[in-house]
Amino acid sequence: MRKKGVPDWFTSSLWSSSSSNSNSFRTRSASGSSPTTPQCETRNESETENAPIAGGDLTPIDGLAEEISGQALLFAEVSKKVINLGELRRLALQGIPDGAGIRSIVWKLLLGYLPNDRAFWEEELDRKRSQYNAFKDEFLLNPSEITRRQDESADVNGEALDLEDKGFLPRADISHGEHPLSLGKTSVWNQFFQDTEVIEQIDRDVMRTHPDMHFFSGDSSLAKSNQDSLKHILIIFAKLNPGIRYVQGMNEVLAPLYYVFRNDPDEKNAVCAEADAFFCFVELLSGFRDNFCQKLDNSILGICSTISKLSNLLKEHDVDLWRHLEFTTKVNPHFYAFRWITLLLTQEFNFADIIHIWDTLLSDPEGPQETLLRICCAMLILVRRRLLAGDFTSNLKLLQHYPSKNISHLLYVANKLRGPSSSG
Amino acid sequence: MVLVLALGDLHIPHRAADLPTKFKSMLVPGKIQHIICTGNLCIKEVHDYLKSLCPDLHITRGECDEDARYPETKTLTIGQFKLGLCHGHQVVPWGDLDSLAMLQRQLDVDILVTGHTHQFKAYKHEGGVVINPGSATGAYSSITYDVNPSFVLMDIDGLCVVEYVYELRGYLDRLKVDKIDFKKTATVQTPLRF
Repeated sequence: MRKKGVPDWFTSSLWSSSSSNSNSFRTRSASGSSPTTPQCETRNESETENAPIAGGDLTPIDGLAEEISGQALLFAEVSKKVINLGELRRLALQGIPDGAGIRSIVWKLLLGYLPNDRAFWEEELDRKRSQYNAFKDEFLLNPSEITRRQDESADVNGEALDLEDKGFLPRADISHGEHPLSLGKTSVWNQFFQDTEVIEQIDRDVMRTHPDMHFFSGDSSLAKSNQDSLKHILIIFAKLNPGIRYVQGMNEVLAPLYYVFRNDPDEKNAVCAEADAFFCFVELLSGFRDNFCQKLDNSILGICSTISKLSNLLKEHDVDLWRHLEFTTKVNPHFYAFRWITLLLTQEFNFADIIHIWDTLLSDPEGPQETLLRICCAMLILVRRRLLAGDFTSNLKLLQHYPSKNISHLLYVANKLRGPSSSG
Repeated sequence: MVLVLALGDLHIPHRAADLPTKFKSMLVPGKIQHIICTGNLCIKEVHDYLKSLCPDLHITRGECDEDARYPETKTLTIGQFKLGLCHGHQVVPWGDLDSLAMLQRQLDVDILVTGHTHQFKAYKHEGGVVINPGSATGAYSSITYDVNPSFVLMDIDGLCVVEYVYELRGYLDRLKVDKIDFKKTATVQTPLRF
């Protein structure tokens, strides 16, 4: 791989369309800009070996044909009875079409939520969804309801009370020493009050998630029900994982997952989006949970080590930029990369771009952690001109408010940064 | 699920020095949403302490209270229930259930909380429920022998109230917690016709 310098075509002005990629992946290519074509060229092994494209070697129509065939292949793969996950990953890496409504299914397959044999989907989904409902019953009830249910199952003589018109109310013994002021560790009430702090934190963060989107924020009943779903998922996750509980930022990681599943065109799936999003969130976070654990911060598993991996990756591919950032301007990678990595880039781009980046993140066979580092490195390389010209303040400002970029170019560059073992 | 603490007749500093330690250890801020106090605190320091437990504090005037600004009676609505508060020395005979029932009809409340007798009582009649949380400090009373420190915590959830009665009993001040369930019937009382 390249040791020093960055080839000119990386940062050629051809790529620098600064308009944010809010349109569909496909329509951009259809409008004739060729940046997308090299990307699918590099992915598609059956094509002839590509050379870095500086411009019109391929006509836009050829590019469009490529896109459509890639799309069709993806459709075909998803519709099969037994899906080949490796093939699916390869096809999804090129991006999942927005309008087709298959993103929800593809993400569920990529995260291992759905088995690859279609015959087992029904059974697996039912099992998982009822498990989630059981979790809800267990964790989301407040103590009054819990004690009432315990009493109802324990005795049936509560009816006698209502028959009397006058008289002293009988005093009943409490079960298991359960009363609201109990300080016992096993007391339902005590646990409830201890959890209140976490629940309040979750509440606050959910309210602040994507305030610009009607789906998540506002007074509509849709927004409220979505916020409630997000809260339930995070509360259950916090209760099931006493090790990391809830950390600020988990709401941001959950939001795109829930959004995609809730907007599934298949009604049956959209209704159970909460349960599906919960399991996929757990799966996605399983690779990243070490980043959220404060105790592991300085260990080999923690966030500091991940950030230094990013630094090394940058040093490997662009030593001048690395030196400029590390030594000349002394921009510590912790200042910008921490948020990029822990939140999986959800705060750096607009929502549509995030979903496209996550298509790549989830489908890359190298795994989301490695892919994320490559994308972060690509983000740095793409603004290298401005970084090399800037001082500490302007560089920091630039990196903390990353300018919107052409996403497919970003992903293309990230792909180029693969290690020598992979193709490309 | 609203937690309401009902207590009164502490008589600090005249007849008792402080709340019993077993009670104090349980009463921590952040758990209780409302406090209703029948009166006879008697001094401002006790008022401040109760205020630190919960900012929503309602007190009525007892005959030994030093602050003359507390009202004689108070009514408030919590969830589906109307609660009435009065110290009880105004209702003669003291502690008489029929007279208290009359006060309850006057205030038009579902649950009437009074004190003064320093003895816990929970009584149901067709108008509603009368609760006497007793004395939280176990202060001496001229009308009751052997006063046990007690208070009441009500858990109001929709149309049900679960009252937890906390009492220190016996020579060793053993903490006993009892539970009383009360469901409000949704039917409206028919007015008397002559």
